[in-house]
Amino acid sequence: MNTRGQRILLWTAPPAMALFTLAFVLFPVFAPPLSPTMTPEQVAAFFREHHTAILGVVILCNLIAGSLVPLFAVIAVQISRTATSSSVFSYAYIICVGTGTTALILADYCWGVAAFRPDRDPQLISLLNDMAWFFFIAPVGTIVVQNLCFAASIYLDERSQPIFPRWVAHFNVAAALLLAPGAFSVLFKTGPLAWDGSASFTLRIVVLATYLVVMFPVVLRAVNRQGSEQAVLV
Amino acid sequence: MILAPARRRPKLDQWLAFATVPFFFTLFGIVFVPLSGMMPPRSPSSSPPQIVDFMQSDSLLVACAILTLCFGLAPLSNAVYLIQIKRMSVSPVFRYSLMVGSMSGAIVGMLFPMFCFGLGAFRTGYDPSVLAMLYDFGYLAYIGSLGCFCVMWLAFGLAIILDTNSVLPKWLGYYTVWQYVTELMAAPVWIATSGPFAWNGLMTFWFAMMIYVPWQIIVYVCIHRSIKNQPDDELENA
Repeated sequence: MNTRGQRILLWTAPPAMALFTLAFVLFPVFAPPLSPTMTPEQVAAFFREHHTAILGVVILCNLIAGSLVPLFAVIAVQISRTATSSSVFSYAYIICVGTGTTALILADYCWGVAAFRPDRDPQLISLLNDMAWFFFIAPVGTIVVQNLCFAASIYLDERSQPIFPRWVAHFNVAAALLLAPGAFSVLFKTGPLAWDGSASFTLRIVVLATYLVVMFPVVLRAVNRQGSEQAVLV
Repeated sequence: MILAPARRRPKLDQWLAFATVPFFFTLFGIVFVPLSGMMPPRSPSSSPPQIVDFMQSDSLLVACAILTLCFGLAPLSNAVYLIQIKRMSVSPVFRYSLMVGSMSGAIVGMLFPMFCFGLGAFRTGYDPSVLAMLYDFGYLAYIGSLGCFCVMWLAFGLAIILDTNSVLPKWLGYYTVWQYVTELMAAPVWIATSGPFAWNGLMTFWFAMMIYVPWQIIVYVCIHRSIKNQPDDELENA
C-alpha cells in the first residue's frame, strides 16, 4: 500500500482553505461581525439589505463545509500510526471531526434560513441569527478535544523515529487553549468574549487560519515519510 | 516499526482517555440537573409564564457555556468503548456503527437541545410563543432523540453478545439491550403532553433513568477491568 491516496486527499486542503477564505471575506455578517446587542428589527433589516450576498456565501459554505474533512482524515490515519497501545485517539478524533463539521453546517443553515424570506417576523430572523452564532462560535469542545487527542498521541508515540516532531504536540495544545474562550461567548453581549469580540471571533479566526497553514506541510511531511509502511488499520 | 526502549506504562493512552469518562459524565450530570434545572424535566403542560420564567434563567447560559467547552469529551468516552469492541471477535461494522451514532448523537441529543435552552435565556424580549417553541424543541430533542442511540446500543449490545473473546461480560450485552428498549419507550414523548409517556413521565424518563444510571456506572467498571486485563502482547505498541 502506498500513500498516493493520502497525498491526493491532502492536496485538496489548500483549495479548500482558499474557498473558506473567500467565503469569509465575502460574508456580510462578518464584515464587521454582527453585534449581539442588535435588536431583532436591526437584524432583520440587515438580512433584508444583504439578502443576496448572504445567500451566496451560505450556498458556497453549504458546498464546502466538509471540504477540510480529508485533511482531518489524513491526520486521523497518521495518529493511528503513532505507537500507542490502541486507536483510542484516532477514533475520538474522527468522531470530533464529524460532530464539529455538523455544527458548522447547522450555523450555515441558520444564516441561510434567516436570509431566505426577508419578510419573516424579525423575532424569528433574530432567533435564527442567534442560533447561527451559537453554532458557529460556541461549540469549541470538539476541536479542543480533537487537538488534545492529536497532541497526546504525539507525546505518547513510542517510535524511535516519531511520526510527528514534539513541537507539533505543543502547537496543538496551544491552539486548543486559544480556541477555548469561544465557549463563553453565550454569556456576554459585549467585550472580548462576546461572539463578535477579540477573543471569541478575531483570535479564533486567526488561530484557525494559522493552525491550518502550519499543519498542512507538517502532515504532508509525515505522509511523505510514511513511504510504503502500512498504516495501522482502524 | 522500531520502538524506543523506555516503556513504563504501555497502556497510558487508554488510561488517559478512560480517566476522562467519569469526569465527563459527572460534569454532564451537574450541567443538566442542578446547574441548569433542565433535569428532571419540567412538565410539557407548564403554563406560558412558567415557561418564560424558566427559559430566561441565567443558569441556563452558564450550563450552556460549560457544555460547549466540554462536549468533545463525549467522543473520547465513546472512543474508549470502541477500543474494547475492536478487541472483540466481531466485524468492524459494529464499531463503525457505534462511531457514526455517537457523531450524530452528540449534536441532536446534547448540543442542539442545550442550545434551545441557551437561546431562550440569551436575549430578553422574545415572544412567549417563541420561548415555548424552544422549550418544546429542547426537551423533545433531549429526551426524544432516539435513532442514533438505538444504533449505538444495538451495536454495543450485539457486539458483546456475539464476541467469543470474552472482552466484556455477556450479561452486560443483555443489559445493553434494555438501553435499546428505553429508547423505544421514549418514542411517545412526541405525542403525550401529560401522564407516564410524556417527556417527564414515569415510563419515558424515570424508568429510563433507573436503567441508564446504573448501566453507565457498570459499563465504566467493566471497561476498567477490560483495559486492565488486556494482555500486553495484544497491544498495538507491543
